[in-house]
Amino acid sequence: MPYEHLVSVEMANEIDKSRRTFLKAAGAGAAMATVAGCISGDNPNEGDSENVLNTINSTVTSLDPIQSTDTASGEVIKQIYEGLTYFENGETTVENLLAEEVDISDDLLTYTFTLKEATYHNGSELTADDFVFAFRRLAESEHSERSNFLLEGTMLNVEHETNGDDELVADSIGVEAVDDRTLEIRLETPNPNALELLAYDSFVALPEGIVGDIEGYDGEYDQSELASSEPVGTGPFQFETWESNAEVEVSTFEDYHGSVANINGVHWQIIEDDSARFTYAMNENADFFRIPTSEYDADLVDAETDDLGREIGTYGPVENGEELDYVGVPQLSTYYFAFNATAVPRPVRQAVAHVLNREDLVQEIFQGRGEEAYTFTPPGAFPGGAERREEFIQDYPYGMNESQRDTAEELLADAGYTKDDPFEMTLTTYESEVFQEAGRNLRDRLDGIGVSLQLEETPFSTLQERGENGNLDFFSLGWTWSWPAADYGMFGFEPENTDTSRMPTETNGYYLDWHAEDSDASRKAQEAWEQVEANPEPEEGQEARNEAYIEMEEAIWDDAIMLPLYHDTREQFAYDHVDIEPFGAMGDYQQRYNSVTLE
Amino acid sequence: MSRWRYFFRRLLLSIPVVLFGLTITFVIVRMGPIDPVAAIIGPEGGAANRARIEQRLGLNEPLWRQYIDFIVGMLTLNLGQSWVIQPSTSVGELLTTYAPRTLWLGFWSVLIAIFVGVPLGFYAGLNPNTGGDYLASFGGIVWRAMPNFWLAIIFLAVLRQSEKFFFGIDWNTIGVTVPGLIGQPPLNFIAVTDWVSLGALSIPIGFYFSPITLAASIKQILPPAVVLGSAAMGNEMRIGRTAVLETINSNYVETAKAKGLRSRAIVWKHVFRNALVPLVPIITNEAFILIGGSVIVEVIFGINGIGYLFYQASIQGDLPLVGSLMFVFIILIVSVNIIQDFLYTILDPRVGYE
Repeated sequence: MPYEHLVSVEMANEIDKSRRTFLKAAGAGAAMATVAGCISGDNPNEGDSENVLNTINSTVTSLDPIQSTDTASGEVIKQIYEGLTYFENGETTVENLLAEEVDISDDLLTYTFTLKEATYHNGSELTADDFVFAFRRLAESEHSERSNFLLEGTMLNVEHETNGDDELVADSIGVEAVDDRTLEIRLETPNPNALELLAYDSFVALPEGIVGDIEGYDGEYDQSELASSEPVGTGPFQFETWESNAEVEVSTFEDYHGSVANINGVHWQIIEDDSARFTYAMNENADFFRIPTSEYDADLVDAETDDLGREIGTYGPVENGEELDYVGVPQLSTYYFAFNATAVPRPVRQAVAHVLNREDLVQEIFQGRGEEAYTFTPPGAFPGGAERREEFIQDYPYGMNESQRDTAEELLADAGYTKDDPFEMTLTTYESEVFQEAGRNLRDRLDGIGVSLQLEETPFSTLQERGENGNLDFFSLGWTWSWPAADYGMFGFEPENTDTSRMPTETNGYYLDWHAEDSDASRKAQEAWEQVEANPEPEEGQEARNEAYIEMEEAIWDDAIMLPLYHDTREQFAYDHVDIEPFGAMGDYQQRYNSVTLE
Repeated sequence: MSRWRYFFRRLLLSIPVVLFGLTITFVIVRMGPIDPVAAIIGPEGGAANRARIEQRLGLNEPLWRQYIDFIVGMLTLNLGQSWVIQPSTSVGELLTTYAPRTLWLGFWSVLIAIFVGVPLGFYAGLNPNTGGDYLASFGGIVWRAMPNFWLAIIFLAVLRQSEKFFFGIDWNTIGVTVPGLIGQPPLNFIAVTDWVSLGALSIPIGFYFSPITLAASIKQILPPAVVLGSAAMGNEMRIGRTAVLETINSNYVETAKAKGLRSRAIVWKHVFRNALVPLVPIITNEAFILIGGSVIVEVIFGINGIGYLFYQASIQGDLPLVGSLMFVFIILIVSVNIIQDFLYTILDPRVGYE
């Protein structure tokens, strides 16, 4: 702290002039004094990093499976914990994991699982009671952030009892251990996607009684310890360290019931910034990674499409001279612009749809790393399959891959909006350069034909709050499918369910206020949703539901209430010394690393 | 007024300052548009979860009660657990994890700026209107003008390809080997290995110190520290030059020259010390700004320190975390102010209590 010394020597002359500033600044000296205190707490021993898979992750929030809701935490949880089913390498077919076999009753309401023999990282054996405990935590624990996945009608909808205040009765869920190896789950209503749903992170097994945040258990650990330092699962890797916003490390579990990993562990460096990630990757600190769009060059890709629709090949040479292995996979996600029906009149919405050119957007802004979205449901989940979607989008009413400014201008003029007296609205996007760029693009195209578009950026949480309050005219958001079926996601379009005045308690749709629109399309969408609800049978009802979903997609077009923009393509780049399976449409974060080898 | 009364009055006056700061924090976070529950559960949440989380966090209580709980918690140093950033983790733990990274960065960015900027400025001031002066001044202005976020990205792009730009010299392996440019510098070069207890007092007796880790740590922090200190460095250079020019043309220097003093003595004894005076508030001020305002540099170099934590906590409405950080910042500023005032009265008799 050299300047403190200088200050005391020289102070006398300049006291009056600089006293206030100096006093303020002296805080720095005091702050620095604490450095030494903090440093000395660290442990001088560092682990060995031979044969450890290195990669990059985003901010991890919690390692408690019922508390984590983000894919960054999910990626770590998937290595440590296991559920009954999983999506192997993130492909779209669900497979058994801790379940050895599944028996589904004729009424489709009772699922009986026979469990594999598996050992936890702490040495205890997996039993059916562990699942009962884990599912009860998901339903009952105050730390659970996904109880709706277990209990709600559109989700798994497991049997349960509620008391007079509509609160869940402890230990009332329909999940039962028949014996040590047999688990029975009873549903209220049939769910065609039950096994897919059970692959979600929150449904994993953990040793019975490890924490005491539900009735009847004292717990070995506090929930906060489970969430940060003591996760215990049956997965191929066991937890080593997690330093907040710095790194996470897991090591190979030698008693794993499946194929024991060839590597010694996995290390994630937590980096949020694009150029930092790229630098980390180019320094070969990471074995596999993503490349930010600013550093990406589509011409370097040399890949072929495989039977799952993935692009597999090579990318390079990159700036450090290496040729990378490349996998590009269209994801089950849709990014969109949407309107609040009460704030933006129909002709304006349609005019925006007319000027929007998705091909431009995907090529210019995303460097071609995505697929133009004309329907809300992505090709991989489209009712009736990708071919049916191809056929369906031929009728897109607002011009595919072209910007129809003249048509838009006419529409706006008929509605009374002109260059001199334009309709004014604000496009609110969450903090994403990509959406801002898309917004600027749109603003320029709308300029001079009767719509004056303002752009605004806000944090995600604020966007959501404002959406629920009906305070968004025009906004950007995205939706990711948790399993590959059209059933997931359409509920948000039921016009009655888009009523923001009743959000978030009574309704949970998209922030559209579509119920307030007095149009044929809005009524058609409402009727279509009622048709979906009238046909819940997993198999027999599917065709009727598919018809209804397609009608809803049509209604979305007619009213231009939402403009789907693009479906994400997720890419992974790996150095030559890494041997890793390509991942599927469910996402790379679903991948487990026990089959990876490093040369 | 006696010294002690003055001190006591300052102490009392600081209480409303702390309360006001905490109140403003509460108002901004809780009454603004940010919804922590939305930040926690995301779009797939569901109403029952929302209600449960609101209940767990106490958000369904009336706002005045939340306010009282918040203030009482802070004032009794019961900082609570993070809501959003890392749920179930105590705020104290997060602070001790994140703070050292930022302090290490801030320390070096201040130090480098001083040891490069000040001598350059003095050199330019002592040799005005020479080629060296022009070079230093022009360099200082350019350096000052380059924005941090841009400079940081350029640093990364150049250093990660250092072999290409610097004739085969690899930044990562030259001198001490560091794993790469990105990430937290290793701060475990010093540690206490042994403690001895004397009653309630614990005294460290065993120390661990690794000069190589220290060197690696410094090397790792160097690029971000230079970027973060770049503006300060330019400032100090410019102001140092002016200060020296002003001093060197004053009458007492003239007198000293007439007295026949050697120019070395004039520079070191008269010019140097007096020219430092206007620099001191600049340097100390910058030091505080650097430590608080390092968000961009922290993110680009993947250091993720306290600035980043504060930013994330703010935009996601993590009230306990934002509140605690604000509380720490406020307490720090207020208490240092008091101590400094107090010290002044001891050190300099001309400072009165009126």
